[in-house]
Amino acid sequence: MWQIVAMARRIAIVEDEAAIRANYADAFTREGYAVDGYAARHEALQAFDVRLPDLVVIDINLEDDVEGGFELCRELRSRSADLPIIFLTARDSEFDAVSGLRLGADDYLTKDISLPHLMARVAALFRRLDAIQQPQSGDGRIVRGDLEIDTDRMMVRWQDQPVNLTLTEFWLVHAMARYPGHVKNRQQLMDAAQAVLDDNTITSHIKRIRRKFIAIDPGFDAIETVYGMGYRWLA
Amino acid sequence: MNLKRQLLLVSLLTLVLPWAGYQFIHETESALRVGQQQMLAGTAQAMADSLARYPEEFPRGPSGDETVADQLYGHPLGNQPEVDGYFHDWNLERASLRELRGVDGPINFALGMAGESVFLYVEVRDRSVVYAEPGSRRPDSGPAFFDAVSLINTSPPYLNEEIVFTAEAPGPVIAVRSNQYGIGPDPAITATWQDTASGYQVEARIPLSKLGTHIGVVVSNTADRLVSPARSASFASRRPGALVSMSPGLEERAANLTQPGMRLIVTDVSGWRIALSDSMQADAAGPAGVGSRWLRIAYDALVETAAAAQLAEPDPSGRERRDYVAQALSGAASAGWFRSPENDRAVVAVAQPVIADGEIIGAFMLQQSTAAILSLRNEGLVRLMNVTLIATLLVAAALLGYATWLSRRIRRLSVAAEDALESDKLRTALPSAGSGDEIGDLSRSFSHVLGQLGDYNDYLRSLASKLSHELRTPLAIVTSSLENLEHEPLNEASAGYAARARDGADRLRRILTAMSEASRVEELMQHAEPEVFDLCAVLESTVAAYRDVYGKREFVLETKIEAAPMSGSPELLIQMLDKLVDNAVDFSADGDTITIRLAGDGGVLRLDVANPGPSLPERMRYQMFDSMVSMRPGKDDKHLGLGLYVARLIAEGHGGRIDAENIEGGVNVFVTLPGENHGE
Repeated sequence: MWQIVAMARRIAIVEDEAAIRANYADAFTREGYAVDGYAARHEALQAFDVRLPDLVVIDINLEDDVEGGFELCRELRSRSADLPIIFLTARDSEFDAVSGLRLGADDYLTKDISLPHLMARVAALFRRLDAIQQPQSGDGRIVRGDLEIDTDRMMVRWQDQPVNLTLTEFWLVHAMARYPGHVKNRQQLMDAAQAVLDDNTITSHIKRIRRKFIAIDPGFDAIETVYGMGYRWLA
Repeated sequence: MNLKRQLLLVSLLTLVLPWAGYQFIHETESALRVGQQQMLAGTAQAMADSLARYPEEFPRGPSGDETVADQLYGHPLGNQPEVDGYFHDWNLERASLRELRGVDGPINFALGMAGESVFLYVEVRDRSVVYAEPGSRRPDSGPAFFDAVSLINTSPPYLNEEIVFTAEAPGPVIAVRSNQYGIGPDPAITATWQDTASGYQVEARIPLSKLGTHIGVVVSNTADRLVSPARSASFASRRPGALVSMSPGLEERAANLTQPGMRLIVTDVSGWRIALSDSMQADAAGPAGVGSRWLRIAYDALVETAAAAQLAEPDPSGRERRDYVAQALSGAASAGWFRSPENDRAVVAVAQPVIADGEIIGAFMLQQSTAAILSLRNEGLVRLMNVTLIATLLVAAALLGYATWLSRRIRRLSVAAEDALESDKLRTALPSAGSGDEIGDLSRSFSHVLGQLGDYNDYLRSLASKLSHELRTPLAIVTSSLENLEHEPLNEASAGYAARARDGADRLRRILTAMSEASRVEELMQHAEPEVFDLCAVLESTVAAYRDVYGKREFVLETKIEAAPMSGSPELLIQMLDKLVDNAVDFSADGDTITIRLAGDGGVLRLDVANPGPSLPERMRYQMFDSMVSMRPGKDDKHLGLGLYVARLIAEGHGGRIDAENIEGGVNVFVTLPGENHGE
């Protein structure tokens, strides 16, 4: 009962499928969050006008509004730069994922994800939010050459420049860089990312991560593909 | 039988053209023949009438008890033969010889006229030749008998004598004349006796002045001097018959009447030839060169009729006995068709009775070769055959060309349709689609069918991803509900059911992931940035991984080239290889060896994955790489027939092709990929 006494974090779920919305709401409530469910974009925006939640879970397809989730994300990001936004959708295409992340979402998840995994991600996002607001302790730092990982804030720096990674990407880099030279196979990476991903998704994620590093350092080649096995971080 | 042969066969129908042409020519020829026959009959009539003014030139027919068979014919001999006992210099056929029945076999003889002499030739079969005794003059003056040839020479009622030829030995013979005035040798008559294997032969020359009007030949044959001889005579009645020979007066007149290409024969009332004028040879050269030998044979087979089969030559016996002559001698003008021996041409012959003072005194025959008609016909036939041949060839060539064109169109259409089906480009334009004929219709129906097939294939391909997309939301409801349920207090049974439901949902999720894989691969390929990598190195690393994953299979990697640089996405190629190896593992048994082979040739890489196991049904070869086609016999939730489809998408996305073949005791799936060869 102590969760209720404490100042519970508010999570907004914008999802047109009532059953899913209720299930997610129940799960979040069980974890001690306060949950508001909305079926449509306008309904949600009206509520957000009054008060912004602490985290938003958005479906892209909202009733007849096919791209409603993207619109909502853009709107919310314009109101708050650090509000954690998670897309949770049935649309698994690469194009949608890239679009969603480009709009400033913190994570793009498909509805395959299990509730515990979803909970873990939400908790991680809140943890990061908390860590950013507190002075850097330096406890959770891992340094591998040019790479610096701040496990508390879930931030990665390369050659002292911040690399803007999503939560999934952060966990993948973290999993590889923790033991440089060790090959991490797909299953291990999947477990680390707390997600059920197929081969192609992992490949896309690694590609996206590489691209983000290369944007900072064109000579970046620390992630090696070991064909047929997996990937490893080269020290 | 293909179209070309069928049309060639049809073109053979043009061969009725020569038949129709032949019918026409035949009709024309018949008309011309009738015309010529009538014209010739008219001419013959006029000639016969002109000859009827000389009845004294025509011998009288047999009188009293004399018959035609008793009469003898004096063949006209061109030159005087040598009296040597041999027939060969008479220039007559052996058919000209008259035959008598003899005791030891047939006796042949002939009489010939040359200049002022009469020649006699007799061939006797005699088993034992009995020569005359020296000094004896008469054969039957008994008591000794011997073989002899006699000429009964009469001129009733005045002359009646016998000229006897006997020999004391082969060689010259002295003839003995016996008449009412006496008996004695006649040195004016020369004769030669020759022995032969079967008897003897005698040749004699008698001056014409010594002979009468009636002549008979008698052969006496004895086997023994003491036995009187058997006589064979040329006459059956008491006295010999008349000697008939050519009439010089008629011959001269006939020669004046004859025109080139004609033969003119005059006979007496018995049919004995008494004048002959032949200039048929003169016209023989004519248009003989028409047509080659085989053409000639073809004409004969087609044109010459049985009526023209007999030769038109004068009868060698000297007596014309053909029907048309017999008719003329009985008073009716008649005609016949014959064949000339020199060039096998048809000869028209007409016969007219020669009537003087209301009495038939002989017959007049006129023969003419049909060279003009024949040349007309032959030229017509040759031209017809040439034209027909050219027409047939033209028609055949045209039909052949047309058939070739037609069958090439059809073949192109069928090849294009098969290509479209095989390469899966079902909406390409097919050949002949624009033409308005039936092939155009066929092409358009093909296009239509192929298009529908393409639509269907597209539908199948998108079905998986659409389905997975639509099912994902309800599945999310199920899984999230079940996960929530785990946090509720459940009794043991309920918890069991919940766990089972979760398992089922989990499997469902895996299926959906597999179903959407194809569309994800397609998407990845669109956005992929191709990199150049070495397929050899990738394979080595990947196959090593397979050995770990599939512990119950042996893996052999054979690379026949040192490096296989290619452009593309190594991850996707590995994914393709995963599918192929997964497939190979599923269709092989524990302990089997899966062989992965890489070869390169001329810038093309070929990757083979071979596994022992059951063969592929032939009809599945193309289908097996299609969406949602699975050949796995059992139920297997992991496989929806998408694995090989994904492999195909990746192969084709890299500009390659995938195919499968049965090998001994297994199946080989192979992928050809364009290599990145710096030299090319």
